[in-house]
Amino acid sequence: MSADERPPKGVMTTDVERLLSDALRPIDPPQSLWSRFEETFAAVTQAAADELSDWADELTDSELSSLRDPRNWVRPVVAAAAGGVATGALVVLEVRRRSKRSNGGLKGLAGDLRSRI
Amino acid sequence: MNGEIETAAQTSADPAAKAELDKAFSDLYRTHLRDVYSYSYYRVGNHHDAEDLTEQAFLQAYRHFERARRESDGRPLRPWLIRIAHNLASNHHRDRSRRPQTPLENADPIAARHGTEAVAEGREELRAVIENLGHLPDDRREALIMRFALGMDNREIARALGRTDGATKVLIHRAIKQLQEEMDS
Repeated sequence: MSADERPPKGVMTTDVERLLSDALRPIDPPQSLWSRFEETFAAVTQAAADELSDWADELTDSELSSLRDPRNWVRPVVAAAAGGVATGALVVLEVRRRSKRSNGGLKGLAGDLRSRI
Repeated sequence: MNGEIETAAQTSADPAAKAELDKAFSDLYRTHLRDVYSYSYYRVGNHHDAEDLTEQAFLQAYRHFERARRESDGRPLRPWLIRIAHNLASNHHRDRSRRPQTPLENADPIAARHGTEAVAEGREELRAVIENLGHLPDDRREALIMRFALGMDNREIARALGRTDGATKVLIHRAIKQLQEEMDS
């Protein structure tokens, strides 16, 4: 091939893109695949729905059984008792503090005399 | 099968939400079954394996559909589906390469992989382009299948292959150039 016969740079002798478009055509799936897939999908969604329902049932059952189990009562009772003790201690401290302020006793009298002298 | 199904629908215990999700998925596969099947067929070269691969791809898609929809932010889900099919096809080829090859597969690997007889219909030019397509590196061949068999644009192909738009543009350009050179040689 002489220089004159050669295609100019950038010009392709074979139109590859056209050939690819002809060769690689989309392929329709067989009808059997549509029905096969419809069946599989129906089975899968049904199975998922069943699992969802079972899961919800299990959750409710487990919650109820945990409420009925006496072993699970200990924690709330201990928490309530601890809260009661703490509240009582605070009340006692507050009462003592107020009684000190209103009734100074011998210590208060001695302090008063000391300040006057 | 039940144990394997881990749909996002199960996480939302709302039956109405699940029904809506299933309806959306049904629309998705009706719209894209042909695309996934075509891609699978051009990757594995026979209808039987292409059907299996397509079914597996959609089952896998169903498991992660809610999350994919959420994360796609309204963008088309076709590249995601093709990416699933792409990964499954790669696994398929890897598994087959571990098994002993039959003489039939050795006899005409290009025809077996791409169904040359059916597609080219005896036309020498088309046969040649399919044969040369089989000589391209995997990523170039796959990009051309996406472009020409599925009509995907650069952005879609980029998302399906997990590349940037720029890298995909270069990939397709080089694939066509290499194919052109092989056809002209």
